[in-house]
Amino acid sequence: MNKWFKQIGIAIALLFSVTAFAHDGAEHTHDGQATEGQIWSQLKAGAEGRTTSTSEFHAQPINTYDLRVLELRSDILAPALMAALFGMIIIFVLFIKVNGISKLHGGFSGKLVYRWSKFDVSIHWLGAIPCLLLILTGLTLLAGRFFFQPYIGEGLWSNLVYAAKQVHDIMAIPFMIGWALMTVLWAKNQLPKMYDIKWMMVVGGYINFGPFKGKHPDAGFANAGEKLWFWAFAVFGLVISASGMLLLFPNLFEPSRTLSLIALILHSVSAIIITAFSIVHIFMATVMSEGGMECMVSGYCDETWASQHHNLWFDEIKENGTLKYKE
Amino acid sequence: MATMKFLCDTKRCIECNGCVTACKNENDSALEWGIQRRRVVTINDGEKGEASISVACMHCSDAPCMAVCPANCFYKTEDGIVLHDKDTCIGCGYCLYACPFGAPQFPQGGAFGARGKMDKCTFCAGGPEENHSDAERQKYGANRVAEGKLPMCAELCATKSLLAGDAEIVSAIFRERVAYRGSKNAIWG
Repeated sequence: MNKWFKQIGIAIALLFSVTAFAHDGAEHTHDGQATEGQIWSQLKAGAEGRTTSTSEFHAQPINTYDLRVLELRSDILAPALMAALFGMIIIFVLFIKVNGISKLHGGFSGKLVYRWSKFDVSIHWLGAIPCLLLILTGLTLLAGRFFFQPYIGEGLWSNLVYAAKQVHDIMAIPFMIGWALMTVLWAKNQLPKMYDIKWMMVVGGYINFGPFKGKHPDAGFANAGEKLWFWAFAVFGLVISASGMLLLFPNLFEPSRTLSLIALILHSVSAIIITAFSIVHIFMATVMSEGGMECMVSGYCDETWASQHHNLWFDEIKENGTLKYKE
Repeated sequence: MATMKFLCDTKRCIECNGCVTACKNENDSALEWGIQRRRVVTINDGEKGEASISVACMHCSDAPCMAVCPANCFYKTEDGIVLHDKDTCIGCGYCLYACPFGAPQFPQGGAFGARGKMDKCTFCAGGPEENHSDAERQKYGANRVAEGKLPMCAELCATKSLLAGDAEIVSAIFRERVAYRGSKNAIWG
């Protein structure tokens, strides 16, 4: 038995000494040459070298990254953005067909209550109009080649995608200004409150059947749904702006290629979320909530609308005397 | 049908930059200032383990540039060569981010992603314009493949380090070399 152990021990010792010699040999070959395997492993690990080319990234022969990001665009992000836009529209149209809209009880009072300043309305549209254009052009850039290009001519496609890129690049600037102003100036009215939970439990009282019918949950200046949209817009607006800046000003930030690819993914994910929320927001304001659109046209809302949808806010301004009617 | 590939034998590459010059000269009509489609990179320069490799577009079978291009301007010829249409290119730079080899290059690097039309190695196979037309020469450079010839870089390689041609033939040549040379210092590779 003891003999066996000795033999195994020697065998193991020999094995290690062989690999040790081999390792030593690989590090310092007698002629100073690296083997193909060593060169390949260095190149695959992203080794940089010397080159006469002054082009960007040319000192590195191979930039290694996770190739799964490539399928992400065609297989997940592009269909998801299509769903976020057209899917949400279809869902909302069907929902309104089944559920009906939220009408003002007793109709319009005709008395308009001051809600937003002219400045608030203008920063809303400063962000909103570019946002709509960015969604449409971004959809063309991400999903266009999969969903539009097969159905249109080659000439039309190249003009369309070129225009989309130009509009997308330019509209990014007013969007970011609008986003920053709205996020900073409106945040204090958007802080979550306890009654927001109740609002969420009854989906804002917009559902006209089942146990939700006829509910009118409390809401302050902004209701829980608006707050959710606000904070989603604030957070993903930041992600989309930051990643967009990297892609828009590569000369300024000099991101690595891998960072640019990551920025591209984060940009698409944020776009999907903002797009889905935007569709809901537009439907709520224009169709679902009767009298809602007036807020972002004149800055005033109907008194009935104020007391029905934002009762706590309406009570508060009545009490503290800041209630202002339109002359 | 052939599947065209480049292969650079690092044991033979002497960093003479002949391939770079050959490419520049052959495709000069299409190249803007500062763009070189092929480059030689030397790792561990002046140290033990020094090795040089000539790099350009590798004409990948599953080309990452093709996968990410928003304009879908890339296409693959029946010889497996990855080419692109400069009229459709929008200059967004995604192909540059996705390419592991840094092959796509742009004439400008301005703000607002104003990069101009992307340029890269065409395997000396021109572009989507009519073969040997003025438009093809101006936008893409040489079209040697249409003449039944291989890329100029590989043809002019003094040590025959850079090989171009059908993948099977290229790898058979390389395999023969490796077998002949042996690899006494390596366990693998």
